[in-house]
Amino acid sequence: MKIRLLIATILLSSFAQAHPVSYKDAIGLMSYNNPEMNEILLTYSLTPYFAVAGTYLRDSKSEFYIPRVNFLLKRWNNEDSQGNVYLSGGAGYEKFASKNYGVNLVEFVADWESRKYYIYFDHLYLNRNNDQNSLLPERDYNHSKLRVGTAPFLADYADLNVWLILQGEKHLSESNIEMTQFLRFYMKNTLWEVGARFDGGWAFNYMVHF
Amino acid sequence: MKKMLLTAMIMLTTNLAFAGEELKVGVKGMVCAFCAQGIEKKFMAQPEVAKVEVSLANKYVKLNFKDGKRLPNEKITELLKDAGYEASFEEKK
Repeated sequence: MKIRLLIATILLSSFAQAHPVSYKDAIGLMSYNNPEMNEILLTYSLTPYFAVAGTYLRDSKSEFYIPRVNFLLKRWNNEDSQGNVYLSGGAGYEKFASKNYGVNLVEFVADWESRKYYIYFDHLYLNRNNDQNSLLPERDYNHSKLRVGTAPFLADYADLNVWLILQGEKHLSESNIEMTQFLRFYMKNTLWEVGARFDGGWAFNYMVHF
Repeated sequence: MKKMLLTAMIMLTTNLAFAGEELKVGVKGMVCAFCAQGIEKKFMAQPEVAKVEVSLANKYVKLNFKDGKRLPNEKITELLKDAGYEASFEEKK
């Protein structure tokens, strides 16, 4: 049971996204990868508060196609920091064994960052019609993620920015917390993360804004 | 001689290109270079703007306008709002 939930956590954790809404007319392309899955997410921000998006995710058994909408509910623009609260909703389908099953998604994200520190919380709820996938047998799926990060040095806009990030993930019905350490790099409109899970797995995330 | 003339022309052209007014606008909440990319993009799309310089350390965006051109403060505020930030027109050093 523990192993199955751990796999499920790893598979679906990447539904979480770092930038649900960006600046007006921004196109965001994000890719999340680990040994068990690959995901591509495309967003278009119609306003600084609202974006339309599409997620494609595949693992060894299923493929997910989920159109979604993302809202920036609240932003705090402070002198030396910024805080955000986002809410997303989506409905799509899961392709499994040549059949399509409905999937509904609700996601809540809150973050705060300064030039030196970063904290991020995410809760994902999925309602799936498919209970045939042995890796993901639950119809109701709840997953939380917490990230804390710090920049070892302060870089400016045109410089290479480097962050050290520690991530903890938890399936609500399981006591185990999956930990991953990340090195995040970004420069101008490109961001990439390389991660090492405490259990030995790897992760690679990539984002670009146009 | 040719080299000197060429150097002088380049210097003159460079100075002329940025001969317009310069304005530093404070930006609240601008802490992340990846997120602030929209600011540069929004301002560079304006025909009045010759050059944009974003400084996270000084918390401002420096705008160099084309000769005789200028963006009104209301437009600057709107562009920063579209980029997700708040403008502050207090004197910036």
